[in-house]
Amino acid sequence: MRTLFYSIGQGIRNLLRNKGYAAASVATMTACLFLFGLFYSVITNIQAMVRNAEEGVSVTVFFQPGVTEDQIRQIEVAVGERPEVSDVVYVSADEAWASFSKEYLGEYADGFEDNPLADSANLEIYLKDVSRQEDLVNYLQGLDIVREVNRSELTATTLTGINSLMWYASAAMIVILFIVSLFLISNTVATGISSHRDEIAIMKYIGATDFFVRGPYVFEGVIIGVLGSLLPLGLNYFIYNRVIEIISGKFSMLARLLTFLPVQTVFRTLIPVSLILGVGIGFFGSVFTVRKHLHV
Amino acid sequence: MNQYLQEAEYAADDVVISMRNVSKQYSKEAPAVTHADFTVREGEFVFITGETGSGKSTLMKMIVHELTPSAGQINVLGYDLNHIRHGKIPKFRRNLGIVFQDFRLLKDRNVYENVAFAQRIIQVPGAQIQKNVLNALDMVGMADKYRRQVTQLSGGEQQRVALARALVNKPLILLADEPTGNLDAETAWGVMQLIDRVNRDYGMTVVVVTHDRGIVERMNKRVITMKQGEIISDTADSAGEDFYPDDTMPLDYQDVDADWNDDYEQ
Repeated sequence: MRTLFYSIGQGIRNLLRNKGYAAASVATMTACLFLFGLFYSVITNIQAMVRNAEEGVSVTVFFQPGVTEDQIRQIEVAVGERPEVSDVVYVSADEAWASFSKEYLGEYADGFEDNPLADSANLEIYLKDVSRQEDLVNYLQGLDIVREVNRSELTATTLTGINSLMWYASAAMIVILFIVSLFLISNTVATGISSHRDEIAIMKYIGATDFFVRGPYVFEGVIIGVLGSLLPLGLNYFIYNRVIEIISGKFSMLARLLTFLPVQTVFRTLIPVSLILGVGIGFFGSVFTVRKHLHV
Repeated sequence: MNQYLQEAEYAADDVVISMRNVSKQYSKEAPAVTHADFTVREGEFVFITGETGSGKSTLMKMIVHELTPSAGQINVLGYDLNHIRHGKIPKFRRNLGIVFQDFRLLKDRNVYENVAFAQRIIQVPGAQIQKNVLNALDMVGMADKYRRQVTQLSGGEQQRVALARALVNKPLILLADEPTGNLDAETAWGVMQLIDRVNRDYGMTVVVVTHDRGIVERMNKRVITMKQGEIISDTADSAGEDFYPDDTMPLDYQDVDADWNDDYEQ
């Protein structure tokens, strides 16, 4: 336990002695994790919006003339069990006419005695995952009693495209940023080791254990990781709140179109992920460097 | 038996350093040490001398297990250095106090911190460190300068601080590699006197590597002389087993002699 406290204390001392490099490492890590937090906030919000939009995307299935409600209800059950489907709504011919006439004809609808949409009983199918719309459409088109399947292909592919693009772009960016962070931490720790060559040599002669010699440098990396993850978290928290405040205050039109996730929802994931990434990069960056440069 | 040796964990005989037919060859170069064969007994004061490149520093590095031999057997304080596990090396080295020609003090710390550094490494409780450090500094005559930055000290004073650092952990063997190499003759003699006192007063085994023939002759101790990697003479061999100049005989033997004398007088 004493060794642990000694190593942490020495790690802090190393950072203070090596202020320039340590500050550069913390700043880079802060920049990386700030950008990560920013991307994460934007992506999770866009994903939430996409999800909302996805929920509104539906496939409408019309049936051959003479198909009974029971037959349609059987299809409703079968479709409802498919994994990509979130909801299925049966719309009878009467409901379809009522909805159409109310929306487009208004009072002129009174002139129709019979239902002109007699064969328009349909199923409205809502999807969990728009990218699997094609599978569902193929399945439906393969059924004998199905006359027509209407779908919004453009919406589906666009939403899927945006989703994937955001993921790929953020993943690539995050990987690059972390490589930069890893390199800088490694550089800081290597500089620390190099400036303490004499001290390390004496420690070895006196009988210091591997942990005692290496510990402070590993903790130096971990402390950089902790600082480098807490600072951007604070910064992101402040900015996220401010941005939502500004958008809802000054751009109320935009606020109505876009619904932002509450800050707690985003940070519930962002805080542990940032800390794990920061501490992890600090730890592995310094362990890797210590193993490479410090032979005990 | 002195206070340090009473604390020793090893239960070997009185041989503390044993080199059996030890050779060291760096890759593709002429061997640095060839067939070195000698033992050092508890409480002895031994000089290893020779010209630059004679292999004396290589020999010292093998004793501290900084280098491993290419051939032969090394045993120090009961540790078989040919087969010592990596995890055991720190424990082994805690029995050694090492002094270097260039002092190797930490320039960003004061005298006290330099000596306390050695205690912290072996995790001595904080309250005891102060007492031990001041004792060690007192032993080398530097207690009154414990707050000074080491960069403000003369060469001789710096070597005294380095000696205090080597002694503070109460080692069983003091190894000094050219301890007077950077000092003028008078200061060098003062430092050697101090090392001699550690050997006499505390019975600590001392091995000093030096090329300073003047000091070696003046000190009148056992001398192992090396040339081109080989031991060309050992005053212990020439004097037989009874070679113990002055009163540098291991304390155990002195005690036996004293007891024998007492018996004889009665």
